[in-house]
Amino acid sequence: MPKMGAIGVKVDLESDEEIPFSSSAATNKVEALDFEMVHLPSRPVMPNSWIARHIGMRAVRSIYIVLLKAKINMLLPFGPLAILLHYVTGKHGWVFFFSLLGIIPLAERLGYATEQLAFYTGPTVGGLLNATFGNATEMIISIYALKNGMIRVVQQSLLGSILSNMLLVLGCAFFSGGIVHYNKVQVFNKSAAVVNSGLLLMAVMGIMFPAVLHFTRTEVHFGKSELALSRFSSCIMLVAYASYLFFQLRSHRSLYNPINEEGDNDQDCDEDEIPEITHWEAIGWLSVLTVWVSILSGYLVDAIQGASDSFNIPVAFISVILLPIVGNAAEHASAIMFAMKDKLDITLGVAIGSSTQISMFVIPFCVVVGWIMGEPMDLNFQLFETATLFITVLVVAFMLQEGTSNYFKGLMLILCYLIVAASFFVHVDPSNDAN
Amino acid sequence: MSYMLPVEMESIDNESIHEFKDEILSIPEMKAQKSQPIQELGEGSFSGGLQAKGDDKMWRNVVCRSIKTVVLSNKLNMLMPFGPLAIFVHIFTGHNGWVFFLTLLGITPLAERLGYATEQLAFYTGPTVGGLLNATFGNATELIISIYALKHGMLRVVQQSLLGSILSNMLLVLGCAFFCGGLVFQDKEQVFNKATAVVNSGLLLMAVMGLLFPAVLHYTHTEVHFGKSELALSRFSSCIMLLAYAIYLFFQLKSQKNLYVPLNEEGSQNEENSDDDDETPEISKWESIIWLIIMTSWISFLSEYLVNAIKGASVAWKIPISFISVILLPIVGNAAEHASAIMFAMKDKLDISLGVAIGSSTQISMFGIPFCVVIGWIMGRPMDLNFQLFETATLFITVLVVAFLLQDGTSNYFKGLMLILCYLIVAASFFVHVDPSAADEAGT
Repeated sequence: MPKMGAIGVKVDLESDEEIPFSSSAATNKVEALDFEMVHLPSRPVMPNSWIARHIGMRAVRSIYIVLLKAKINMLLPFGPLAILLHYVTGKHGWVFFFSLLGIIPLAERLGYATEQLAFYTGPTVGGLLNATFGNATEMIISIYALKNGMIRVVQQSLLGSILSNMLLVLGCAFFSGGIVHYNKVQVFNKSAAVVNSGLLLMAVMGIMFPAVLHFTRTEVHFGKSELALSRFSSCIMLVAYASYLFFQLRSHRSLYNPINEEGDNDQDCDEDEIPEITHWEAIGWLSVLTVWVSILSGYLVDAIQGASDSFNIPVAFISVILLPIVGNAAEHASAIMFAMKDKLDITLGVAIGSSTQISMFVIPFCVVVGWIMGEPMDLNFQLFETATLFITVLVVAFMLQEGTSNYFKGLMLILCYLIVAASFFVHVDPSNDAN
Repeated sequence: MSYMLPVEMESIDNESIHEFKDEILSIPEMKAQKSQPIQELGEGSFSGGLQAKGDDKMWRNVVCRSIKTVVLSNKLNMLMPFGPLAIFVHIFTGHNGWVFFLTLLGITPLAERLGYATEQLAFYTGPTVGGLLNATFGNATELIISIYALKHGMLRVVQQSLLGSILSNMLLVLGCAFFCGGLVFQDKEQVFNKATAVVNSGLLLMAVMGLLFPAVLHYTHTEVHFGKSELALSRFSSCIMLLAYAIYLFFQLKSQKNLYVPLNEEGSQNEENSDDDDETPEISKWESIIWLIIMTSWISFLSEYLVNAIKGASVAWKIPISFISVILLPIVGNAAEHASAIMFAMKDKLDISLGVAIGSSTQISMFGIPFCVVIGWIMGRPMDLNFQLFETATLFITVLVVAFLLQDGTSNYFKGLMLILCYLIVAASFFVHVDPSAADEAGT
């Protein structure tokens, strides 16, 4: 058991140093290994007759490790249950709720499979993998919503994911960490936070211009200019994100070392980095989980409007607040856990890195995908949402700029999130185009 | 790099003033000029002028030498013929697109030479007045173009070209400098003096505040006297901003010498001493003044044609006037500063680059814009600080982004790349932006 904890922490430290936005690395590790794991890397040569049995055993072992180990997988049955409900009762409220519950473990396992695969591909490609699939769940849900033409849902759910990461996840982490370590001030690497703040501000810039253009009605071709501008800005933001990855993973890696790395003896006993499943299993599970998440997302997205009607809450509230809270549940838990272990750099990597990833990669990516699909998805998030994002980024950037944390900062962020949530509870979307 | 007579070079006191002048008030052309081979004739014309033998041949030599030094020595002056060419094209073809383009090319070397003349004059006037000269004439080109546009009643062009100059300095020039410097010095992080950057950011934010209130008042339709309140508020705010700028100059020049010492001053003292051994001015005091006057008149002359051709160029090339005013005009107007900022970043003298870029932005926002409002007041033009919501929002978010990136006092190529990409987004936004009050630009 001590080995288990050690592996967990060491592995995350490794991957998170290079990949500030690894999603659910921590949670997996805590649940993970037992003695069986030691046997995996060694594959004795077996006679042909035993191969079939061996593969069968491997499959069972794989399923055991991936599906049955994590306690969070108790929620797995809710997925098929949601599908059943959809066909049998058509009660959208319950379908929505159960799909949400069903997606949570899948999202977490998806992150686990990504991290396992990262063992085999080396730090650079692993970092890239994490950077791309870290928010795979949000991306899949968004692409489904795009396909259904629910553009506002896409915009709002991505916005909500950014807000939830920056305020709720970070706030809870700072708060919990501050309470556990109340006699000292926790520190984190300032320069990484500053670069991330700069990127978030750049994303706000990219989102603000189409919104202000539309709002002041000063575009050259009404309705078409913002779309063209959004698409151009999205390409620029994707270029910026690619250079950011390059900057992080290649040239300025020293910039991203956690501050108290040298003096931390806990890491010395974290020698084992043995992955739990093999290379091909990781890829296989990645595909399987992605397919599962896609299927459930389909039902989830279809049920949003009905859920809004039956629960009597605005669609905006569901998209901005409910969806992301659930989608980020695993990241939330791991961020809090690392803050309590005084490893704030990892927490920041999870929270702020995820926000940066969504704002500079997923949002422009959705615009480009919409461009390919022919959907008019643009960066005009309407004035209220844009203003919310703007003020939130400012608040968070200011709090992060000095590189320290305490429970009060965390509490402030959480309370800010409550204000934001309340605002969206009474916000009616002027251009509600939910199908 | 100095405003003092050679004799004062040795004094430590003046060294520190000299250092901090570099960062804050240095004109870029001066730096570019230092890399040119210094004409030995400078000395000759200096002494020749002083002796004043009353010999005609001597005067003609002086004039020839002066012209050679000022006009022919700089490679950028190859663009000079474009000025007269533009006037020709205007008179003969009236093709506004070409007139505009050629005028732009013609003004570029003149702007650079104007900076050179200012810097030469500053040798003779001592550090304080020299600093003031720089602070006032550093952006003389933009001011001259703006005053001409004001005279023609093209208020939106004035506002947009000044705004574009600020944006281009803060994003494009600074971004290119950080990017090139970061690429050259990949293994280390370049540092610059945080205090300067923070003070400048504060001033820029104050300018944003001055611009924001009239715009928001107008936009929320909550002013007391519709149309007149913003003008009165703008004029009052301009006076306050000019006062702030004057105090800022005083603050820089007199009391805070120590604050602006660059971080690696000690190590690079020797290097700088060997670079800038020659601080002899190249032309005499009266020559500088005369050239200053000549350049100013030339620029005014060309600006007339430039401003007249804007509308025609917009129609001929099918691009919005706001794009021309905000993006094209400033890029050309700042070309010389741009080149020198990049060059200094690549020499790891980031404080000077920052002085060029951010200092120029501060100067335009806290001096250039209020000054134009006051000039408009005198001329009877309703020039105000209401830059319309879109432009004001653009300035606001830009100042925020730049202030955040500058606050930790370090630079790397990624920050530079971010700034450049932000500028591309801004340029794209203005490309699809139609000015709602375009009716104001009735070119008279």
